[in-house]
Amino acid sequence: MDNELTSLGIIFTEFYYWVTVVFMFLIHVGFCMYEVGASRYKNHTHTLMKNTMLIPLVTVTFFFFGWWIYFAFVNGPWIIGPLVDAPWATPWSELMGTHMGGAPVQDTLSADDTAYWARINGVFWAAFLLFSWTAASIVSGAVIERIRPSAFWILAVVIGSFTWIIDASWGWSWNGWMVQKLGYHDAYASGVIHAIAGGFALGVLLVLGPRIGKFRADGTPRNINPHNPWLVTIGLFLIYTGFWGFYVACNIPVIDVYGSAMLDVEGKTFFSATNIYLQPTTLSAITFNFLMSLSGGLMVAYIVSDGDAFWTYSGGLAGVIGASSGNDLYHPIQAMIIGGGGAFLAYKMHYWVENRFKIDDAVGAVAVHGYAGFYGIVVAGFMLWGYPSSPFEGYATISPWGNFIGALIMFFLLGFIPAWIVSKILHGFGMLRIPREIELVGLDINYESARAADAEEVAQAIREEARSGA
Amino acid sequence: MATGAVDNWLNIDTFGAIYPFVGSEGFLAFLGIALWIVWHFWQIRKENVEFNKDTENIKRQGGPGKVLEDESRREIGDQVGQ
Repeated sequence: MDNELTSLGIIFTEFYYWVTVVFMFLIHVGFCMYEVGASRYKNHTHTLMKNTMLIPLVTVTFFFFGWWIYFAFVNGPWIIGPLVDAPWATPWSELMGTHMGGAPVQDTLSADDTAYWARINGVFWAAFLLFSWTAASIVSGAVIERIRPSAFWILAVVIGSFTWIIDASWGWSWNGWMVQKLGYHDAYASGVIHAIAGGFALGVLLVLGPRIGKFRADGTPRNINPHNPWLVTIGLFLIYTGFWGFYVACNIPVIDVYGSAMLDVEGKTFFSATNIYLQPTTLSAITFNFLMSLSGGLMVAYIVSDGDAFWTYSGGLAGVIGASSGNDLYHPIQAMIIGGGGAFLAYKMHYWVENRFKIDDAVGAVAVHGYAGFYGIVVAGFMLWGYPSSPFEGYATISPWGNFIGALIMFFLLGFIPAWIVSKILHGFGMLRIPREIELVGLDINYESARAADAEEVAQAIREEARSGA
Repeated sequence: MATGAVDNWLNIDTFGAIYPFVGSEGFLAFLGIALWIVWHFWQIRKENVEFNKDTENIKRQGGPGKVLEDESRREIGDQVGQ
């Protein structure tokens, strides 16, 4: 850190990721508002706490093992190679703490490791962590009003600190085996966050079952409308806002593409932002495409839902998610059309699955994240067919079959299947669903009774005070 | 007595880890993981107690139907009162 320009680059990168974390925090605020707005009055407090407490649980477990998995599992392990050493990411590494970049004490680390990771490790870890919260929070909305908080928090750790970060290691890192062998391309996480979270939510819902009263005796669904539609829409607006942080966190802000240690092309220099695969891109490109895919989603969702506020906002989200895989490379009008397709698919699939399979997805999370995410990966496979998946030689090119296999891995292998297995185990122990009587009267019944008793006591005291004063 | 290796900021360009008790990271990781697992067990036990108590209360009040009736009566009363 004795050279002004180098220091500026390092500290800018550190600050850049820090800012993305602040923005992404808004995603969680949005999810909390959205869920509370969608739940009924009798379940508000438990709904809020269910989503809030995933923050510390996913955070500590992401510190303990999630971050290490990202670097260690790039080969599977044992799909194309062994576990990879990642001594800067273990919970006992000195680089997982306050560090100035000098010589290491631990002999597993080199001076290069400490010089490189000291200032980037915490902010990079946090940027990934906020993705983890998002993945778990997507599941949280689908299962409201009947899952036990304890069961949800175990499931949140499974997706937030285990399965999603495995998929990131495989398909959302410059050297993941899916990128190398399948040419998998998912620049802004249609699959690695959204499809997996949607698939995971579906796996839980299948075991958990619908809310009492959701379906009539003949199997047709009833609408359980949001308690507060305004809170839902503000929540979704906040998720949009946080999505800006999500998008820029998917990039590396400034790097010499030719001169990086991993890709050394002699005699050439080219500074640029890159995506996670180290392919050059620009903030300008993803700003165009984010807004155009959001717009495509909103426009289509407004039409297909007859102007329903909940589905119009959700359709905006599905639009972005549907185009995110290729939003580093698409033309903005392509992003708009693809985004519109994502919103259409999410809306239609939600009601088809609800009617056909009696799945009660309380907030449409499986549709907006799962189906639109799956679609986004598949469409990118066709749209970007033949593009190199990486600047490195020997990697497979992007293809429809590579991305389709990738979509199956995200939605089913790492999303649906682990969720279904863990839910079955929890169900077997009687730990998945709240008791029927409590579901009928509402999770907050004790809390609300206590509040009513407190209010009555205060009112009584005021009456007595007034009488004595008179 | 000093808990860390930092006794001045003059040689900051040579500093590595500067948190207290460098060398205790393995123990801290073990402690943190243990606390996390204990938290889950503690929370599950607490939740079971809470749900058992709620279920008993509902039964004592005449079942879910009666609780909901009372609840709606109280809400109407609140609204009228306001």
